[in-house]
Amino acid sequence: MQSKIYTLITGSSEGLGKAFAIECAKRHMNLILVALPGPELSALATLIKTNFPVEVVCIPKDLCKDESCTELFTEVTVLNLQVNMLINNAGLGGTVLFEQGSPLLYEKQIRLNVLATTLITRLFLPLLQQHNNSYILNVGSLASFFCLPKKHVYGATKSFVYFFSKSLREELRNSSVQVSVLCPGGINTNPAITLMNKTGNYISRLSIMNPEEVAESALIGMFSGKEVIIPGTLNYSFMLLDKLLPAFIKKILTRITMNKLDSNNRMSRYLVPAMVTIPVPAPR
Amino acid sequence: MFKTRFMKVLVTGATGYVGHNLAMALAKIGNIVHVLVRNTNSEFIPKHPLIKVFEGDITKKETILPAIENCETVFHTAALVRARRTKPTDFFDINVEGTRNMLEAAAQAGVKKFVYTSTAGVIGSSLKKDMREDDPRVIGFNTDYELSKFLAEKLVKEYASLGLHTVIAVATKVFGPGLDTHPQISINSVIRRYITSPISFSPLPAYYVSNYVFIDDLVQGHLLLAAKGRKGEKYILGGENISYRDFFKKLRLISGIKRIVLPIPQWIAAIFGAMHFILYKIKGKDPYYDSKAASLIYCNKSFTSDKAKNELGYVITPFTIALKQTIRSFIIESYAKQNIHADYRVQ
Repeated sequence: MQSKIYTLITGSSEGLGKAFAIECAKRHMNLILVALPGPELSALATLIKTNFPVEVVCIPKDLCKDESCTELFTEVTVLNLQVNMLINNAGLGGTVLFEQGSPLLYEKQIRLNVLATTLITRLFLPLLQQHNNSYILNVGSLASFFCLPKKHVYGATKSFVYFFSKSLREELRNSSVQVSVLCPGGINTNPAITLMNKTGNYISRLSIMNPEEVAESALIGMFSGKEVIIPGTLNYSFMLLDKLLPAFIKKILTRITMNKLDSNNRMSRYLVPAMVTIPVPAPR
Repeated sequence: MFKTRFMKVLVTGATGYVGHNLAMALAKIGNIVHVLVRNTNSEFIPKHPLIKVFEGDITKKETILPAIENCETVFHTAALVRARRTKPTDFFDINVEGTRNMLEAAAQAGVKKFVYTSTAGVIGSSLKKDMREDDPRVIGFNTDYELSKFLAEKLVKEYASLGLHTVIAVATKVFGPGLDTHPQISINSVIRRYITSPISFSPLPAYYVSNYVFIDDLVQGHLLLAAKGRKGEKYILGGENISYRDFFKKLRLISGIKRIVLPIPQWIAAIFGAMHFILYKIKGKDPYYDSKAASLIYCNKSFTSDKAKNELGYVITPFTIALKQTIRSFIIESYAKQNIHADYRVQ
């Protein structure tokens, strides 16, 4: 009896990862969902299982922690699951002045975006090679092409993902594993980010995409064998402009754009949680 | 019919469709109803001996306090509902900060129950099966309206964990007799158009399913929620799930009026939306519709009200009966306006 083949998606409880999970389920692919422990993961798994005829395995895991990648791999092998597709989606963003960001944030960004991506790819590669057609999709960013203030560490980690993916693709050229890297622009991943995306200027607001659009074009790009996937016409034209414009004009443009994108977020007041102490109503 | 009797209640948004009907229903069963309105001369203010009008604005907390004093229950239905606003932060200032003000005022005034009216748009579009209260969103937030209602819901839930007894009523697409407060975007305006104008428009493909709630059911649901809703919980108050095709079929059968229904694919709707946007730029009047709002029409929005049915005894009026009542009232209304031929009648 042939066992089922799964797609592993990291960071799948929210934003782009959730969109990947739903998009894959629409294509009747069985899923291993890896995400931070919490109710969101099981809620998503339930939603997918009630709507699509696919198997969903949830593995709650904080990939920032030491050993968590090896633990993940062990759990998958103990369950004896076949994996032919890996989407390294888990990542940590942040738009913050360097001296205002906490060291812990930077450590987490590097651990998650760089270390986890590398380790998971290494650990799962032998599993992927067992199949005739396997895919690795790494999630980079458009930020890896531009030097953006307030996105220093983030941009650098995503440059790592970009470089790593392209090199690995070359190395695995004659194997059954195809590596692609997705470089999206701004995405309305969660409510807080969606609010912050609204503070940008007109062009950058226009370029913002919804996660389901990005996930769809990423999967289409990956299955058609693309090396670098840039979703959205506007984002693609940014890349073309990047090749055409002289460096000093690009610098001015990014400066204008990033200064407008407010890291201290004037919209953040709408996210302030309830705080007052409430007198308990007298029993009736 | 479920009956309840409160000491004093406050209804915000009473000049809107849901708030107006809710305030009238509450007054009719013997409650003293405070309504908070920005304009005391509005033609949409519900009129009843038990309804007391207070001038105020939910974005200014101090104006809420006189209206909320001694109220046992608050129904917060007020919100900014439309596709776009010249000042986009209005959505958040009114729907989020306005709700925060209401919650703070309610906590200060010792309100016992706080019922917040939200929208199924927060849960968003559905996949193949009906969506439930706690299902995660399938797509990102398309409009400021939906995002602002999501953030407001989050606040309402947080207040529940702080001790205030809050409940969330989730309305799907509302229709029924009554005021014409939201021209263009409401299902009522679609029904009105079908009755009064020779050409109507239906989305193409017509197999997309939406959930339609009758206003009387929604009002009843609010009363049930105030009486029995569990603290911090969210209840979908919906109706039947019906495809656009069946919707127009039923409209034709029940009204006995045959109209041309033009199928409109999404790209044409998007162009309409863009035209609305240009008109809005020229005229400066905020549109009810734009291309983003158009994308909300082209998806499945099917929901289940099982939680409200099982926990509260919520009852759904069959769509056919509800639509018959609605059409009848609109035909009478349009006779009054003299824009319909006299030979059309409800079968």
